[in-house]
Amino acid sequence: MIANTTVETESPEEFIEEIEKTQNCLPKKIDANPKTVEKGLAKLVLTLIELIKKLLEKQAMRRVEAGSLSDEQIENVGETLMKLEKKMDELKEIFGLKDEELNLNLGPLGDLM
Amino acid sequence: MKLYLYGIIDSSEQVKESIYGLEGSGVYNIPYCDIGAVVSEINQPIQKVTKGAVLEHEAVIEKLMENFTVLPVRFQTVIEDRDNLLLMMQSYYNDFKDNLDRLHNKLEFGIKVIWAAEKIRENIIKALKKGKQKKLEPDSLQGRKFMTEKFEKYKIDKEFRAKADKFIRVIDIFFSKFAAEKKLGKLKTENLLLDAVYLLEKSQEINFREAFEHIKSARPDFKYLFSGPWPAYNFIVLSKKSGILTDSQQTDLLDKVTQNRMLVGADSI
Repeated sequence: MIANTTVETESPEEFIEEIEKTQNCLPKKIDANPKTVEKGLAKLVLTLIELIKKLLEKQAMRRVEAGSLSDEQIENVGETLMKLEKKMDELKEIFGLKDEELNLNLGPLGDLM
Repeated sequence: MKLYLYGIIDSSEQVKESIYGLEGSGVYNIPYCDIGAVVSEINQPIQKVTKGAVLEHEAVIEKLMENFTVLPVRFQTVIEDRDNLLLMMQSYYNDFKDNLDRLHNKLEFGIKVIWAAEKIRENIIKALKKGKQKKLEPDSLQGRKFMTEKFEKYKIDKEFRAKADKFIRVIDIFFSKFAAEKKLGKLKTENLLLDAVYLLEKSQEINFREAFEHIKSARPDFKYLFSGPWPAYNFIVLSKKSGILTDSQQTDLLDKVTQNRMLVGADSI
């Protein structure tokens, strides 16, 4: 760094920890070498399913909040989302993926989720 | 011999000062029209990212900043030879010019803020329990029970993000009046409330630093990190406008290049 460039903080360890968190979970490239191609593809597909699941959940919550779902509809949506979550958990376990790995760095656009 | 590229500068003049870059090679400017690409010669691509090499790269850019407007180039950018470099310069000339004009006399500063996320969440949960928020009553049906849990979490998350937005607006008020441009990153992690970069006129640096002291006093419960001045890493916008040059623009550019061999570095090192 040049002489007048400074980094000032009273909590350097905490900032290092948080910055590392933002970098570690998001690989810049999809891991697609011959040994890990299956996991790499699973990660990509599951990330997209996770995105759709989150969008569905959010929409459902907004409708609950607005009071526009009947009791029967709440039960149906709840059961569907619950089964989807269970299936996702099974698939994540099969491919050894953690929740925080299901994300994509879209460069200047930021993270997918 | 390949060329290691450090940055693009707003001058076609040679770098007067002796600057040494990676592998201890001398740094020089390859001019293109009225701008230049600052390079040093390198034997082979850099295989490993080492702290030393990164600092050497950064030191060159920051040394250049003392006398020029610099568009810093990503670490490990190696160009095959001078011809390829000039083709790249031709291709991006308009973009480089626009950025150099926009970033002239400006510097980048970073502000990061950590808040006590866990405590904030606890307070939200307490407040929601007290208040008369809309509630889904759980019953024995599984789907409804699942929705009840999700809805509780949704309300907490919504409130958490609303609080983050409010705090960020307040923090930004302190800084944005001195900034020409800014980019605010919200909640990159649960604790990292704000990860912001501001672009300032050089003359605003003191005011900006004072604003940092003010916000620290105003919100002592947060933790802060201030960094800078940096080259404007986060404010360079490349759209490759030169790729869509009109015929007359291409002719003008070609005239500039062919009329003066010096402009494309043909007579330099």
